Amino acid sequence: MPERTVTVASSVGLHARPASLFSQAAATVGVPVTLTSAAGKTVNAASILGVLSLGIGHGEVVTLKADGDEAETALDSLAELLNTDLDKE
Amino acid sequence: MTEETTPGLSALLAESSIRLDLTAIDQEDAIRQTGAALLEAGAIDASYIDAMLERERSVSTFVGEGVAIPHGTLAGKDSVKNDALVVLRFPDGVDWDGNDVRVCVGIAARGNGHIALLSQLAIVLLDPDKAAALRAATTSTEVYELLKPDPEDVDGA
Repeated sequence: MPERTVTVASSVGLHARPASLFSQAAATVGVPVTLTSAAGKTVNAASILGVLSLGIGHGEVVTLKADGDEAETALDSLAELLNTDLDKE
Repeated sequence: MTEETTPGLSALLAESSIRLDLTAIDQEDAIRQTGAALLEAGAIDASYIDAMLERERSVSTFVGEGVAIPHGTLAGKDSVKNDALVVLRFPDGVDWDGNDVRVCVGIAARGNGHIALLSQLAIVLLDPDKAAALRAATTSTEVYELLKPDPEDVDGA
């Protein structure tokens, strides 16, 4: 299954605003995507509660996985999102 | 990094900050009431309430399960004096950009303490029974029981 390993760039981690933007994006890519924390816990990337429950901090390395025709494109776009500081005003 | 020293959810939530029978005319009113509760808890300066409204305009803090988690922008962090949570329940519901919100969990946090707090709250809300119980809670005791980390959750068997 295609996957990407990404370092979370948002200065305050993957919390409310970045988590919200990320899960909204994950819900629109057309394929199911999972997000796995450095601690090894995996959630549905499109679930904001799931993403928040991981408590991911700045600089934490996470893994995205997806399957299906659009998986590579979806993972590229979501990985780029995580590489961006989403909490910049 | 600081997970071990982060106080638990209920330790940051004063009993006077649990308000379970409120009404709000709209979303902004609910956010202002949430901010006022944080102000009364001594957690913030009044300017934080504007930061909360600004955050909500930028991205909704609705997280699902009838719950929103109003909090300030990153720039509003300087207005936070002490980390604290407040729980406000609106039994009649509040229209939150088309979503029905029954509970607002207001958050004031400096540094990265709120990441652990949000994680803990999300774990509670991911359990449909606990989420329903939170929406229906009528006593502060019930809220504390729900938000208290449950050691038995660790054992999945």
